[in-house]
Amino acid sequence: MTDADPPTDTVLETTPIDADEQTEAIDPLPLARVESIGTDIEANVARVIVGHESVIEHVITSLLGRGHVLLDDVPGVGKTMLARSIATSVDCTFRRIQFTPDLLPTDVTGVNVFNQQTREFEFQPGPIFGNIVLGDEINRAPPKTQSALLEAMEEQQVTADGETRSLPSPFTVIATQNAIEPNRTYDLPFAELDRFMKKLHLGYPDPEDEAELLGRTVGTHPIEELESVTDRETLVRARETVSRVEVAEPVRAYVTRLAGYTRENAHIGASPRGAIALLRAAQARAVINGRDYVTPDDVQAEAAVVLSHRVKTNDRTRDGQAIVADALEQVPVDG
Amino acid sequence: MSTETNSESTTGTASDRRNARTISLGVDDTATDSRTIGPDVFRILSLGCVLLLIASFVRVLHEVTQAVGGTPSLFALVGGMLLAGTLLARLIRPRTALLAALTVAGLGFAYYLESSGVGVGIVLSQTGALAADIATLATGHPLIRTVEAGLWTLGFAPAPVFLSWYLALRGRYALSVLPGGFALGFLVLTGDADLTVTLLGTLAGLGAVGFGELERRGGSISQADLLAALFALIIVLSLSVSFVPGSETGPASIGATDAGTLEGTIDSAGERSGFTGQVDLSPEVRFTVESEQPSYWRTGVYDRFTGDEWVRTGQEQPLDGPINEPPGDHETMQQLVTAETEIGVMPVAPQPLAVTDGAAQYAELSAHGQVHPSTTLIEGDSYVVESAVVDPGQDELKRAGTDYPDQIEERYLQQPEDTSDEFAEYTANVTADAETPYEKAAAIENHLRSSKSYSLDVDQPSGNVAEDFLFEMDEGYCIYFATTMTQMLRAEEVPTRYVTGYTSGQQVDDSTHVVRGLDAHAWVEVYFPDYGWVAFEPTPSGERNDVHADQLEDARADDVENVDIEESEDVPVREDDDDEDEQNDRDPAEPDEGEHDDSETNETDPDQDPDTDPDSDTENESNETTDGTSLPDSDGEDTSEGDDSDGLSLPVTVSRELLALTTVVLVGLAAGIHRTDGRTRLQRLVGLVWQRPTDDPDDDAARAYRRLERLLGRTHRPRRPGESARSYVTALRTAATDDTGDSLESATDRDSGSGSDPNSNPNSNPNPDPTDPRIETVLESYERAVYGGGVSRREAANAVEAVDGLVREQVPLVGGAMSDAGQHKASTERGSDDENDGSDESTTAE
Repeated sequence: MTDADPPTDTVLETTPIDADEQTEAIDPLPLARVESIGTDIEANVARVIVGHESVIEHVITSLLGRGHVLLDDVPGVGKTMLARSIATSVDCTFRRIQFTPDLLPTDVTGVNVFNQQTREFEFQPGPIFGNIVLGDEINRAPPKTQSALLEAMEEQQVTADGETRSLPSPFTVIATQNAIEPNRTYDLPFAELDRFMKKLHLGYPDPEDEAELLGRTVGTHPIEELESVTDRETLVRARETVSRVEVAEPVRAYVTRLAGYTRENAHIGASPRGAIALLRAAQARAVINGRDYVTPDDVQAEAAVVLSHRVKTNDRTRDGQAIVADALEQVPVDG
Repeated sequence: MSTETNSESTTGTASDRRNARTISLGVDDTATDSRTIGPDVFRILSLGCVLLLIASFVRVLHEVTQAVGGTPSLFALVGGMLLAGTLLARLIRPRTALLAALTVAGLGFAYYLESSGVGVGIVLSQTGALAADIATLATGHPLIRTVEAGLWTLGFAPAPVFLSWYLALRGRYALSVLPGGFALGFLVLTGDADLTVTLLGTLAGLGAVGFGELERRGGSISQADLLAALFALIIVLSLSVSFVPGSETGPASIGATDAGTLEGTIDSAGERSGFTGQVDLSPEVRFTVESEQPSYWRTGVYDRFTGDEWVRTGQEQPLDGPINEPPGDHETMQQLVTAETEIGVMPVAPQPLAVTDGAAQYAELSAHGQVHPSTTLIEGDSYVVESAVVDPGQDELKRAGTDYPDQIEERYLQQPEDTSDEFAEYTANVTADAETPYEKAAAIENHLRSSKSYSLDVDQPSGNVAEDFLFEMDEGYCIYFATTMTQMLRAEEVPTRYVTGYTSGQQVDDSTHVVRGLDAHAWVEVYFPDYGWVAFEPTPSGERNDVHADQLEDARADDVENVDIEESEDVPVREDDDDEDEQNDRDPAEPDEGEHDDSETNETDPDQDPDTDPDSDTENESNETTDGTSLPDSDGEDTSEGDDSDGLSLPVTVSRELLALTTVVLVGLAAGIHRTDGRTRLQRLVGLVWQRPTDDPDDDAARAYRRLERLLGRTHRPRRPGESARSYVTALRTAATDDTGDSLESATDRDSGSGSDPNSNPNSNPNPDPTDPRIETVLESYERAVYGGGVSRREAANAVEAVDGLVREQVPLVGGAMSDAGQHKASTERGSDDENDGSDESTTAE
């Protein structure tokens, strides 16, 4: 039993990994193309999601920066809709896993099924095998199931019955979790939160935005008419472009200082993984802004959403967000 | 005795030197080396400073004991207290130590009271009087004037020394400075501590506290620059504002008298009489005396000699009633003294018996029977004096014996401790043939008159004046003669005192004497049992008169003001032979029957001044000499030279102390500049208007932005450390557009109109507008240079030029001078840039 969407007709690579086929050179897209793709996706998603421009931008940079997103908010503010419209815009396989307390790891990863005809076990890929995977209400599943998802997120591969299978590329998880009903949820362990590049809050729309939203959705929902603006292969190449964006030494040093500040001023500070994620997000943002190099402004624009959920304080009055805000205020940009 | 001083002062200078070295270390570098200096060094520095503080007030006390005796005891006490402090530092608690110190102080005080004959009982019976006594001391009564100054010193020293050292060893530096500072402060109030010692002590106290804090809080030496800057500030302040009462700043007691004159020297500060080298003579009239007889007019009597000045001990009492008469027979004479200008003295003929009329209400009587005015007398003030003329014959004086009263022996036999045996031996030789005190006095008088010549133009000796004059100088003037004679007689156990005043002056009619500044004089009084004080004149009078008469003639010739009063105007300077004999009679060498006197003078004077009128063979103590011609005397010429050039009046000595102080000031300034980042600021200011082009365009672009940032920082706000370059500019832009709604429009106008050429911007804004498109140019090239793949030469040049333009607009003066160079530079860079164009393209991609 599963709430996951049935596999679509798109053929997915589910074969176990061959060591050889690892490094095929990906041709990066020109910078300007990536910039315009970013703008296009943003415009496309904005047709469905009213307001929340900055959140949309953050999701797009995560997509380009090879990261995963955790949307943390009350139900009904459009988390799922955001994920779906993003997936639709890039013309990728979109999978959705509805996490429930009784969801099993195999419900996520897939399972070997005995084929009566071939007399062999055949791998039946789970819903994790998609380019964009929406993990809905991820905090409702028990930790065991959560960890199945999280392995996939980190390694971009799943292991079922001893066989490791590579996940399709691009692979981006957009998970949501409910901020209400804390009693009936399994909070994501801190170590697993770390695997999300960003934790975003949608929040309620502005009154004007909400009126606009209502106006758009009374007839056919705009998501039904949404068309893709790019395709999977282009996205892969765009990601390659982003990964080649120059990060100069002063910026790396700045990121190090930021992470160091959180470590000094909080119980648990940003991990090195967090610093890497911050740089990747900053790279993506630089590209969105039409630059082939990262400036401290890119870092500053991303730091709040990238670092806050990785910082844990003992002080009830100051959460990770406050610490990161302090870091941005106090850590000198130039050495 | 001096060895211990040396050891103490070397401690002081050593710590000073260490101090200076560490400070300069702090100036040279800041972070790295400073870590190596630990609390131990600070502890040593603090202790050194405390020692220096102790040394500073012990030094003042030592000056006192040097004059009055007791130096070995003082040093023994101080050494003992230091030892006790060291031993007890680990044994007893502060409260016990405080009690011990108070006990020591109480014992010292009791010892003083007992020894000075007052008795401890006075503490109970006359507490108020004691308190008044202490208050008198603390309001500028120098310690050296205290009758029992030596005992006082010994009673005073131990407690603060012990307490300071004890507390310092226990690490309580701030507390330890308290007793030391109190002791020094008290000595400052009494006026004994001079500026240098005060300054040194204060700095030492500050240093002790400062280094103590650094030790306690584990500070680095780079923080000591604050201390150094403070030190320098204190030094500069204390040099420019003198608040230390005492000899340095005490008002000259003679009104309208310059410091460089003989009068100013003789009565430099009321109760002291100092020495200088070359002096001027003021030809101005000071006062007139209506008197039947001429006399020396005495203004001061001094009993204590410190080696470089005379001090009058004891306190003045208001004059009420008659003054004690001399023990022997005497005649009396009346004088009416009228001040002709502001004077701070009360000239009287010795020995005054009563002062009445007019200004007599201001008269105060010193412990030596001399009257002093409690306030400055002004022109026209007059008073009547009745004086006892002690006029015993030579034989009577010879017979007077040596049965001196105890009080006289205690007071008037004092010699500085460092007086050498040689001095006494020499004196013994001079007086070898003399048996009675009178013969000794006469022998010494004659010896001085014949062996030294008179000159106003001498260098002030550095050591004991009496010894230096006797052994090293060939010429001098009255104060040297009188001082030396006093000390020589004292060496022979003859009670003698040093007196100052004026010679009888110019006699203008039968009874009127006009006394001028140049009549100022010093001579000697010797005590004879049954007769009292008898004056002696060791100064060669003939020479003196010539010199002084020349002065007056010169002054008259130059029409100097106030040289004459009406009566004296027509009286020639050297013509009154009439009163010569009378003068002779009243000669302070006194005995008119004085065979020795006349014979001696007859021998000496013609020898030295063969050209003088025969009449001058008599002892002529006034400025009237019989010779109308001016003498080709070298002494006289020297003096008139000194007179002509006013600037020479007070010799300005650039002492080593001054040099050291200057050095400290410089070090302090350097430290202060270091502290306030003055150098960086200067560099920044220079860097703002001028940028040295380098080979690296990235570097140029980055520095161009830094200049822009400084420019914006001056007019708007500096960039916060957490702000990136762009967010800073963006924030300024937002603020600017919020402030003035239209500035955004004007910016966009400029953007479209002249954005490409920043120099053509006609609106030269005194404050750089954050929305100025040139700023964007600079910002972009900065970002590319620092974070991206680098900038081309052209881009860098553009950025530099843009900033040059912005700076020029803001600093028009510099801009005017700058603009040519800036444009030239820009054009040359653009020229060289063409060659690099090809490679420039490749830098942006990647």
